[in-house]
Amino acid sequence: MTALRDLAPSPARAVPAAPAEALVEVRDLRKHFPVRRGLFGRVAGQVHAVDGVSFHVAPGETLGLVGESGCGKSTAGRTLLRLLEPTAGEIRFRGEDITRLDARAMLPFRRRMQMVHQDPYASLNPRMPAGEIVAEPLVIHGVGGGRAERRERVAQLFERVGLRPEQMDAYPHEFSGGQRQRIGIARVLALGPELIVCDEPVSALDVSIQAQILNLLMDLQDEYGLSYLFIAHDLAVVEHISQRVAVMYLGKIVELTDRASLFEMPLHPYTEALLSAVPIPKVTARRRRRVILSGDVPSPINRPSGCHFHTRCAYAHARCRSEAPALREVRPGHLAACHLHDGGVTFPLAKPG
Amino acid sequence: MNQAASAALAGEAAPHRAAGEVVLAVEGLRTEFRTPAGVIRAVDGVSYSVRRGETLCVVGESGCGKSVTALSILRLITSPPGRIAGGRILFEGRDLLALSEAEMERVRGNAISMIFQEPMTSLNPLYPVGRQVAEAIALHQGLSWRDAMAKAVGMLRRVAIPDAERSAAAYPHQLSGGMRQRVMIAMALSCNPKVLIADEPTTALDVTIQAQILELIREQQERLGMAVILITHDMGVVAENADRVIVMYAGRKVEEGSVEALFTRPAHPYTRGLLGSIPHLDDAARGGAGPRRARLAEIKGLVPSLLRLPPGCSFAPRCALADARCREAAPTIARHGDGHAVACWNAGHLAPGAAA
Repeated sequence: MTALRDLAPSPARAVPAAPAEALVEVRDLRKHFPVRRGLFGRVAGQVHAVDGVSFHVAPGETLGLVGESGCGKSTAGRTLLRLLEPTAGEIRFRGEDITRLDARAMLPFRRRMQMVHQDPYASLNPRMPAGEIVAEPLVIHGVGGGRAERRERVAQLFERVGLRPEQMDAYPHEFSGGQRQRIGIARVLALGPELIVCDEPVSALDVSIQAQILNLLMDLQDEYGLSYLFIAHDLAVVEHISQRVAVMYLGKIVELTDRASLFEMPLHPYTEALLSAVPIPKVTARRRRRVILSGDVPSPINRPSGCHFHTRCAYAHARCRSEAPALREVRPGHLAACHLHDGGVTFPLAKPG
Repeated sequence: MNQAASAALAGEAAPHRAAGEVVLAVEGLRTEFRTPAGVIRAVDGVSYSVRRGETLCVVGESGCGKSVTALSILRLITSPPGRIAGGRILFEGRDLLALSEAEMERVRGNAISMIFQEPMTSLNPLYPVGRQVAEAIALHQGLSWRDAMAKAVGMLRRVAIPDAERSAAAYPHQLSGGMRQRVMIAMALSCNPKVLIADEPTTALDVTIQAQILELIREQQERLGMAVILITHDMGVVAENADRVIVMYAGRKVEEGSVEALFTRPAHPYTRGLLGSIPHLDDAARGGAGPRRARLAEIKGLVPSLLRLPPGCSFAPRCALADARCREAAPTIARHGDGHAVACWNAGHLAPGAAA
């Protein structure tokens, strides 16, 4: 493991631009929600749910987006899909700026970027047979030909996601949680998307079913060259499926790099603490040194000054309380937002395991 | 792993691990629920025991009966539709199932306490949390209200709630999920229980808060020497907290062993499947930066409905080792090495020579 002191205290490098071939890219994306109080809904403040994040997803790639509840990871995913209107920033899909497109102009992009939700039961119409749920996007977008042709296509999709075509006439309540997630995935695949935002797709499922769904998502990616933005709080799951991982804390990305670098050499104290907090299913893991953070995640309405993490950070110093660190390239391909790296500072980073 | 090494390991992980006498024993428990579609045997002949100072983890997926077993211990099964149909629950030698409701009330929340997954549902939203903790103390310890309140604030301080005097006046919704779970723990521990049952106590919490809460439970266990029954679906939580582990599937105990035995020599195909199907965080470091990710081992198929359990072994339809015998007769739990037991006809063939 390379110690931080071995790193040259290089002058701050700006965040590198996304490669030209990025499938989707967001720049300085912001989504703020007004907090209303009182009888007349006076705006009393703003929740900075997403507060200036930049990342891209390459074709065929999985970018993991991790963080704890309220960090803004789901809002970032929804805003990227324009299911929420961005407050500021830019969203580009295959180079085209889609940030301000109206609903009509957005329609062709909707086919190409889809979403898989956490709770498949809440996202499936309980009064519609599973086959119709999967066929619905084809109808809405006027693709997939006539009725018979559509049914044929849906039957293929059912088989592809591991459901039996006979199950097309069953209703959502007749399926188990894992099967419902398969229906959700079939529906999303119907339009042949290029990007799928997966928002906690396995966290509501039992352990043995999680593996089935993760394997299915990886198989589909290999087969169709899909790109995933994989949003989850479970680091082990994100580590398993992603090529690169972004860690969010209170609306900002604090670290972004390939998965091996992130897990071997976390550069942000928050990432270090997160990794350390995850229980490892091995008895030998009981010996490891752990970093246990004190306190709770601060409210996104009333965020700490400077670096938002300084209230829980063991390494915080005066500068952290007053000045927000920028996300910058500390090592090649490894971005972190932490003042510690400005002077080649050393701090012991615990490795999980 | 030899005995000395495993002792050292357990010792290092948690210094309180000194196996005391058995405080609670569940024997052949059967809990049923009547539904319009038929009788569900949620718990079907489960036995386990826990010793003073010991952490027993009960692990399994939804519907396996791990929570119903715990609720049965405290006789919190709503009847109808539920019913404890058989078995004994021995607490310090007394069968709890034979106690009157009034006697049971003196056990519940006093000698045996329980904390749940979502503290919001167990706290009364209309009262300040300090008062709720004090009520439990006043009820069980016969203290004056003033003394009970003082003790409640002391308990809140003990579970590391910042500014305990002021927090005692807060309502549940004013606290974060982690703080609410601390309040629940304060309440559960306020009467120095001999057994703490924690049912998925950290499942609703973020991972950094989970680490805090599990640490808190360990500290308090050490202080009080209580037995802890920790119910979870998270194998990581099991590996880092358990002394012994019970694995449940479809209402039955399928494997039992020390945490070392279970993770190094899992014997039941279901346990092996579970361990194989979870992504391991520390594999990333070894696997390098390669973009190709390995497929996870899957357990095929679905957990069977308790209304339509297959004859024979409930796991047989999903099991790669199942043969005619498995489909005909349910295996009984049998010794599989020291302190290790498994309910599988074919466990002996799984890893020849692996049994201790």
